[in-house]
Amino acid sequence: MNIPDFLALEADSESGDLVDLRALDFVSSYDSHLMCPICHCPFVQPVRLQCDHVFCRKCLGSAITTVRSADSEEFPCPSCRTPATRISMNVPRLLINMCDEIQVRCPLLGDGCEEVVPRGHIQSHVEKYCGYRLVPCPDESCGKNTRKKDLQPDQRCMHSYCRCGRCNEDIMEQDFAEHDKELCPSLETTCVDCGTTIPQRTLKQHIETCPDVVSPCVASKYGCQVKIRRADIAIHEQQCPLVSIGPYFEAQNTRLDSLELTMRHLQQRNEIFEDGLANIRSTLRDFARASGNGGRSVIGGERDQQARGDADESSDLATAFSSHTTQYLLSLHESLREEVNQISHALTDLDARASMTIMNECLRIKEDMAHTNAAVNSVRMQVQWLMNPRLHNGARAGGIRTSTAGNESPRTQLTSTSAPGPSNAAGPSLGPLRPRRPSDSGREGTKL
Amino acid sequence: MALPKRIIKETERLMAEPYDYPHVPLTVFGASSDSLSLCISRVSGINAVPHEDNLRYFDVSIHGPAQSPYEGGIFRLELFLPDDYPMTPPKIRFLTKIYHPNIDRLGRICLDVLKNNWSPALQIRTILLSIQALLGAPNPDDPLANDVAQRWKDDEPAAIQTAKEWTRTHAMT
Repeated sequence: MNIPDFLALEADSESGDLVDLRALDFVSSYDSHLMCPICHCPFVQPVRLQCDHVFCRKCLGSAITTVRSADSEEFPCPSCRTPATRISMNVPRLLINMCDEIQVRCPLLGDGCEEVVPRGHIQSHVEKYCGYRLVPCPDESCGKNTRKKDLQPDQRCMHSYCRCGRCNEDIMEQDFAEHDKELCPSLETTCVDCGTTIPQRTLKQHIETCPDVVSPCVASKYGCQVKIRRADIAIHEQQCPLVSIGPYFEAQNTRLDSLELTMRHLQQRNEIFEDGLANIRSTLRDFARASGNGGRSVIGGERDQQARGDADESSDLATAFSSHTTQYLLSLHESLREEVNQISHALTDLDARASMTIMNECLRIKEDMAHTNAAVNSVRMQVQWLMNPRLHNGARAGGIRTSTAGNESPRTQLTSTSAPGPSNAAGPSLGPLRPRRPSDSGREGTKL
Repeated sequence: MALPKRIIKETERLMAEPYDYPHVPLTVFGASSDSLSLCISRVSGINAVPHEDNLRYFDVSIHGPAQSPYEGGIFRLELFLPDDYPMTPPKIRFLTKIYHPNIDRLGRICLDVLKNNWSPALQIRTILLSIQALLGAPNPDDPLANDVAQRWKDDEPAAIQTAKEWTRTHAMT
């Protein structure tokens, strides 16, 4: 909603509420965040600006009308001066509920209503339920107001006067019952203690001053059992030893109170110190664990802790501070758990490192094996190279022999040269001339 | 016309303010962060008391801020809340004579939040703090007392010296 709309709405909704919510008396204190920065009361019909600041609708309306320069579309937020052009009527329900929940006194407290209700209900309380609200007299010709609780079921006017038969006073009908029972000056009663007859309306004052009323000695709180007539109490108080010792008791009491106060202070301080000590202890323990090397010192530390725990336990038993022991054990448990965590961390760490090393080692071995393979191959080649001429010679000699001796030798040659068939014929003849090629060696090795 | 609830509340808070220092609490290892908030001392040096016969009229005294020419002085002011407060700013005037470029011979104050920069969300307290801050930071570029401002611009040490003298003679009795 933009600003002119808002102002128009604000002017329209000039509400004729019975109760001014801002003038209410709050029973308890409330959160200061629920306070409108303009009227300093809990929000009444809150609205929100773009900058998220919340104000009462009425407060914001009057702030805009006084601060805004004529008909500008903008308005600086009263809290942060951010120019705002739009006003949101949507405020979180939570805020409204919290404001409506604050307990207030009925505004008719002065008339006798002592009701305390949530603020959200105060309108309906005053309108429907409060018996002290003044409503026009049902008799329209009367023109007076009457309290709601005095209304008669038959809608009779209660403002006619009737005469009290005893004191001849004219009393309005709505007050007659009260007058008849208590206020009439001619009404008399007898004091139960002194037996004198007095007007009823002074009975209360009379009881406070009547010399015959039996009352306890002023030193009754220190143990004086005497209860006598008020007239005689002065004589008693002069003799009563407890009265004369009274001031001394008073002084002692105040002293005790102040001592108690000091003691509470000291107790608080002591608690703080104990907390601090526990903190120091745990830090020390952590430190010792961190600086220790390996499991041995940890175990030692544990034993140390155990011993310390035992010592603590015994001393705690002596001072009956069971809560402290529990706390201590809990902290011990906590630290042990932490340790276990650390160890598991270390384990995973070690695991990773070991697998890493293994892999490295494997790679190196593989490389070595490849090297060795290569070396073996070259040796093989050399051997072959060395063997070739001899084979050649042998073959030539064999060839001569086969040509002469028939089919005996081809069988031996075939068995030896079965794999590289085609190279067989050319290879041996070219062998001695050809430079050695490493790529050849692998296959030809099978010949050997 | 009944006094608005807001003025009553503000007055209550102003009167409740000058409290004694609470005993210094123990804060061991941050064990009690609550008690830390208790030892926030009252630094403001501001005091406002309403007149008995007119609760919209306040007698105010402000301590000169430290490290300013007004240090050590106690300046008296009068403050009046108009009928439409908080929609209009309070009217404030120095009663003690003061040598300051933004405060004139009659004690009127040149401060934006007292004029067109007023916001209904401001309060007596915040306004008095602003005035105290103005004492700590004079602004001769936006003067009210032209002669003082001119002197402040031309010869600042001498102007500060005069301000100190005025503080001694008028604000320390």
